[in-house]
Amino acid sequence: MGTPRRLAAKLLRAVLRLAPDESCEWASAMLRELEFIEGDWAALFWALGSTTAILRHAASGWRNWISRKERNKEGHMNSTGKKAMGVASGALLALILALAAFGLMRILTTVFPGLGHHDGHWPYFLGAIVIPEIIFVVSAILLWRKRTPIAAGILFTAIGIGIHVTVHLAMR
Amino acid sequence: MKLRLSPQTILVLDAFLEQAEEWQYGYDLSRVTGLKSGTLYPILMRLAERKLLQTQWEAAEPGKPPRHMYRFTPEGLRFARANAAAPASGLSQVALGLVVR
Repeated sequence: MGTPRRLAAKLLRAVLRLAPDESCEWASAMLRELEFIEGDWAALFWALGSTTAILRHAASGWRNWISRKERNKEGHMNSTGKKAMGVASGALLALILALAAFGLMRILTTVFPGLGHHDGHWPYFLGAIVIPEIIFVVSAILLWRKRTPIAAGILFTAIGIGIHVTVHLAMR
Repeated sequence: MKLRLSPQTILVLDAFLEQAEEWQYGYDLSRVTGLKSGTLYPILMRLAERKLLQTQWEAAEPGKPPRHMYRFTPEGLRFARANAAAPASGLSQVALGLVVR
């Protein structure tokens, strides 16, 4: 037995040892065929090709396993859960935007102290409340058809902020 | 049935069709079709997974390792025959573009 054939046999035995269960029968079949191949180099090329085939087979098995897992995970989360997640992410997005607008206006009024005082609180009110509210309503309308839960989350936040501002103004 | 009929797959189907009732070995199929093991075995695996091919270990004789053998299932035979559009010239010739349609 020449070196290439010995190498081929070693390679296929290693493949057989490491192959996942579903590929074992095939790896074993390839190893058995090795003994009937004429020529040492032909045997080595047979082993190399077989190794590639087993790797591809194992990879497709793993791919199927991962996609099955993902499908199961999606299946476990029912439609109510998905909707709740959508609403929460919409609300969170809107809240982040509102806080960013609020923070920005705070910084602007600190840097330019006259901004909030000459014309009352209107510039502040416009930047921190009105513009974000307009953005919320427009994005909710645009998202309503395709991403209804997210749009609903944005609207809830918009309504929440609106009520808060109204109550705040009414109390003053 | 979802099976991509590549020229190589057609070569393998053709090789099986020539001796539809006989069990065949991997290395023999490789020699007949001229396909390397890295191409041949994925095709055999796909055919077996789709139940078009049945596999079996040869009964071991003393001093001789058992070999894996392959043969069409009835469904596989029907599939191969249904796809044998040019029986006289052979599937492989269609696959290799030797038959003008």
